[in-house]
Amino acid sequence: MIQSQPAAAPALADKMKIENLDIFYGTFQAMKRANLSVPDRHVMALIGPSGCGKSTFLRALNRMHDLTPGARVEGKVTLDGVDIYAPSIDPVTVRHRIGMVFQRPNPFPKSIFENVVYGAKIHGEKNPKRLAEIAEKSLRAAALWDEVKDRLSRSALDLSGGQQQRLCIARVLAVEPEVILMDEPASALDPIATSKIEDLIGELKRDYTVIIVTHSMQQAARISDFTSFFLLGELIEVGTTSDIFTRPRDKRTEDYITGRYG
Amino acid sequence: MAQAVIAQPAVARLRGSNARSRRIVDRIATAALWGASSLVVLLLLLFIGFEFYRGASSISWQFLTGSPTAGTAGGGIGPLIFNSFYVLILTLAFTVPISVCAGMYLQEYSAGGRFKAIVQFSAESLATVPSIVMGLFGLLVFVSALHWHFTALGGALTLTLLNLPAMMRVTQEALAGVPGTYREASMACGATKWQTVLKVILPSAIGPLTTGVVLVSGRIFGETAALIYTAGASVSYGRSAYDVNPFHTAETLAVGLYQVHREALVPDVDRIANGSALVLLVMVLVFNVVARVVGRALTLRFTGKAR
Ligand SMILES: Nc1ncnc2c1ncn2[C@@H]1O[C@H](COP(=O)(O)OP(=O)(O)OP(=O)(O)O)[C@@H](O)[C@H]1O
Ligand SMILES: [Mg+2]
Repeated sequence: MIQSQPAAAPALADKMKIENLDIFYGTFQAMKRANLSVPDRHVMALIGPSGCGKSTFLRALNRMHDLTPGARVEGKVTLDGVDIYAPSIDPVTVRHRIGMVFQRPNPFPKSIFENVVYGAKIHGEKNPKRLAEIAEKSLRAAALWDEVKDRLSRSALDLSGGQQQRLCIARVLAVEPEVILMDEPASALDPIATSKIEDLIGELKRDYTVIIVTHSMQQAARISDFTSFFLLGELIEVGTTSDIFTRPRDKRTEDYITGRYG
Repeated sequence: MAQAVIAQPAVARLRGSNARSRRIVDRIATAALWGASSLVVLLLLLFIGFEFYRGASSISWQFLTGSPTAGTAGGGIGPLIFNSFYVLILTLAFTVPISVCAGMYLQEYSAGGRFKAIVQFSAESLATVPSIVMGLFGLLVFVSALHWHFTALGGALTLTLLNLPAMMRVTQEALAGVPGTYREASMACGATKWQTVLKVILPSAIGPLTTGVVLVSGRIFGETAALIYTAGASVSYGRSAYDVNPFHTAETLAVGLYQVHREALVPDVDRIANGSALVLLVMVLVFNVVARVVGRALTLRFTGKAR
């Protein structure tokens, strides 16, 4: 049981707190009793072998499971102390505050500009000057501005995969969320595009709390402050990234990071 | 074990001596299938050629724009062409909003419960009603019960009933073709369901949706049986030929073609019939071509990629 206790230093304020989280697909339980605290403005990496429930866990944090027929979430997920699954909470506002970047870049079939300002427009911004400012700010923050500033009206689908993924990050930033969830954002990208995304995540944690699923332990080691290890639908261990990688407390974590699970 | 012993030589035989004959059968099958496919193209070309051969000499400006005559030769089909488009537009004005909304509900909103099953079943049942039966229904409701008599509106409403299921299917399929990742991305930006549908899903589906609408339009344009008893079979005498009043009789080109052989009192029946058939055929072919071209152009315009 001690392994499930968050190892975050007590001085850090928790942005999100997950308590006794159970997730079901129909009758299949894909996540069992997960507990996790995510400190504000840090990067939390979720690692574990394929199929262990990392995406399942992540999608519970901004209520994306609401869109999956048959998926059921039990337990408590709080953002700044407020339960996002409380009946009085509108999932749309939850997703406004907790943005998400997906494994495969998924820009809309619209222009680059329309992609970036999509969220701002959705939330009522109409002023063209303001929209242009938001687009530039978000694209700069996503380290994409210099590459696309001359072709904002071109289709986003003409961009390379890495550029598309940074565009998707810009699109999330434009909504001004507080937490950004990323599900293997670099797994479809080449090494150069990947390192750009990694640098970007390092920048983002100054303003945002980032929770990122990754298949690569090197990546987790490079970019995250904290790491949690999942196995077979359970959160096995969480701690500072250096602790997890140098002196894991659980035998199963050790086996995984030393490569004994593939 | 005994079975395996028996099976062994059989397998060996199949592999060995049959290989050649199987290859030949395979070739013959491929050729036969190719032949059947080519036959479709050939029949279409023959048919179009035949219609041109018979009807081309009838076509003139006077024929395309002039009004039908009673008793004398030299009548045209102008008002019939006009009525065909008029009834089509009226029909689309009812069909498209209703079926797009219904199809959108089924595809995007209903989680597949009982209501969805009922709507689907109703649509499929409606789709199996023969058009002549729908025409008689229109006769009972619009012509008799409502005392409208033969009207463009009654015809359009009957055609709406007839084509709702197809348009609904078209909508559902167009929406189903939109990748789920667009929905997720939009929702993850804090958009509501309605905003997602309006701003992302519909624009992404606009190409196939338009293609579907134009294809259904072609069918509406050529529909005859449902209109004979509802929109009427005469360009009503005593009013201007190009008439936009929805409560007036509106004989369409297809109905006119049916009618001219039955009871026309003009000496040049064959000329009018052949010419009308050719015009109708060309119109419907144009609808098919336009459907593809416009669908592709819109897809390119709204999604920036060719499908
Ligand atoms: N929509 C779904 N319906 C039913 N079962 C699902 C669904 N999505 C995931 N699962 C199951 O839940 C378990 C966890 O899946 P999940 O996608 O969360 O794993 P993951 O850790 O993200 O794996 P990967 O690293 O391969 O992405 C798996 O057994 C998977 O088959
Ligand atoms: Mg996953």
